[in-house]
Amino acid sequence: MAVEIKINKRKTTVDLVSQQGNLLEIKVGDKLYKIDIMHTGDGTFSILENGHSYDIELTSNGHPKKYTAYTLYNTYELEIIDAESQYIMNRHSGVFDNDEHTISSPMPGKVVKILVSEGDVIKKGEPAIIISAMKMESEYKSPKDGIIKKIYINEGDTIEGNQLLIELE
Amino acid sequence: MNKINKILIANRGEIAIRIMRTCREMGIHTVAVYSDADRMSLHVRYAQEAYYIGKAPASESYLDIEKMIQTAKQCKADAIHPGYGFLSENAAFSRRCQEEGIIFIGASPEAIETMGDKITARETMIKAGIPVVPGTQKYVVTEEEALEVIDRVGLPVMIKASAGGGGKGMRLVTARDKILQGLRAARSEAKEAFGDDSVYIEKYISSPHHIEIQILADSYGNTIQLFERECSIQRRHQKMVEETPSPFISDTLREKMGTCAVQAARAVNYEGAGTIEFLVDENHNFYFLEMNTRLQVEHPITERVTGIDLVKQQIRVARGNKLTLRQEDLTQNGSAIECRIYAEDSDNNFMPSPGKVSKITQPMGLGVRSDGYVYEGYEIPVHYDPLISKLIVWGETRAEAIARMQRALYEYKIIGVKTSIKFLEKIMRCKDFIRGTYDTHFIENNRSVLLADEKINRKVEDIVMMATYIDYLNKLHKIYNAKEFTPVQSRWKKANYLNHF
Repeated sequence: MAVEIKINKRKTTVDLVSQQGNLLEIKVGDKLYKIDIMHTGDGTFSILENGHSYDIELTSNGHPKKYTAYTLYNTYELEIIDAESQYIMNRHSGVFDNDEHTISSPMPGKVVKILVSEGDVIKKGEPAIIISAMKMESEYKSPKDGIIKKIYINEGDTIEGNQLLIELE
Repeated sequence: MNKINKILIANRGEIAIRIMRTCREMGIHTVAVYSDADRMSLHVRYAQEAYYIGKAPASESYLDIEKMIQTAKQCKADAIHPGYGFLSENAAFSRRCQEEGIIFIGASPEAIETMGDKITARETMIKAGIPVVPGTQKYVVTEEEALEVIDRVGLPVMIKASAGGGGKGMRLVTARDKILQGLRAARSEAKEAFGDDSVYIEKYISSPHHIEIQILADSYGNTIQLFERECSIQRRHQKMVEETPSPFISDTLREKMGTCAVQAARAVNYEGAGTIEFLVDENHNFYFLEMNTRLQVEHPITERVTGIDLVKQQIRVARGNKLTLRQEDLTQNGSAIECRIYAEDSDNNFMPSPGKVSKITQPMGLGVRSDGYVYEGYEIPVHYDPLISKLIVWGETRAEAIARMQRALYEYKIIGVKTSIKFLEKIMRCKDFIRGTYDTHFIENNRSVLLADEKINRKVEDIVMMATYIDYLNKLHKIYNAKEFTPVQSRWKKANYLNHF
């Protein structure tokens, strides 16, 4: 079964050609690999390819089609692109570009200070909110010129990673 | 002689566990305290007793002096060990312990007060004949006084807040006519951060080494020093890598600094474990920077080369024992390095990265020590320090220690949160580090090497995609399970079996 997978910005089809126990032939794009693959149920993979040993840890962050993979030196973000996720992606890109109109939290933390009020005019790059996490304070800046449409949090609130904080217009 | 059968550890994280380990070895009962955010923290699980002390923000739990005293009295603890950070250098806390008849395993309130105020510390050190960075002796008040200092010590100078720390309230002045502006800015920042706007001026040492000396003193006037720790590798004024012996200083300088450190400790009648921090300039002049009146984060490297358990020594001194260690018997055996593993994103301005640790594999093997506190399934809270663990290695030579650290970092895998491991590996491979020619500007000087993107390796990407592909197929076939390694096919066979019967 061929599956389309996105790794960082690259998209390729992966397909199983043949298998014999843990020895597989897999095509990635148009390249054919012969690998020896063993793994645990919780995402530890050992792959041998042409005598080279690769140690990989996979986590799926609770999302069934999104993965983070860790090798010795790198971290990779991966996503399975099937009909469903294709549909969701298309629908979203048609309506609005999420990043441009909102400020959201890249990590969990606590709201120290909100520097703007609803209705305020804000310029691109101006700080809108100060978040503290692990004894360090960071300013989050406006991604564009605009007006503060809605503020979803209060000072002192604890916030999650990827939570919507402020919507711009 | 004081009896210590039970110690309350007024801290959390790796240091709480570090202290409890020694307590266990000494047959001392351990008491943990925890906030709302720490019910599932390892220190609570490791201790023999654990008590709730308040809300997640440190100000409402780990910094609450009265709550800590009350808890210690209720559980009949003989002593409190404050670790580092939190209440460890709080004179009021040390005093309250005294008043309540609880042994404080730390410095006296007087020593904390003297060393806590940078100007008082400076004055005390000058009196004791310890070299300090040339500059003002007192609080600078006017522009004229500031200019007088500049004429005396020369530009550039650094304006520092007396109550300072963490780089706040500091201003570098490189031109004579910028002094007023710098004074004002430093004052207002100091006022904002510490509620105290007194500042002083020091000559700016342009490429300094940050080298500290560990000292140990009992209550009978015996003070010894346990050599240096080289702590120049820092980011955001926080240390990342420490090593001993320092590759920078000579035996003569080491001995001179050690003698000075002992004098400095004696000048404040210091008891227990403490650290004298020095700045050393490129011409090997050294100057007193500050004294830390507590156990340091990086104490294990000293333990590793001297073979002395510093926490055990702290407890013995607090109990009223005489030091049995003699200066002439102490040596530095081999070379030790510590790497601090932080939950942070090194590629993104070292932004903290709290979250759930889904997997952790700790390095092991000869010469490796790991002082940590996170376990699989543990969620690192946002409220406290991002330090996950400290990795300490020992080698017969510095070169062996570096190679061992590279190997240990390779073995260290933490999945779920971003960590400094990859960044530390790059430091260990950096030419300046390997040669031992680095100062406190190491990270900014080597920025391009340390923050360089890894070359995109198509093949590795392909391999990673194959793993993802197999995992996804397994998910479609609803296979969950087991920790043991399994070949792919048998699992699929099993899946069919499960699906059909």
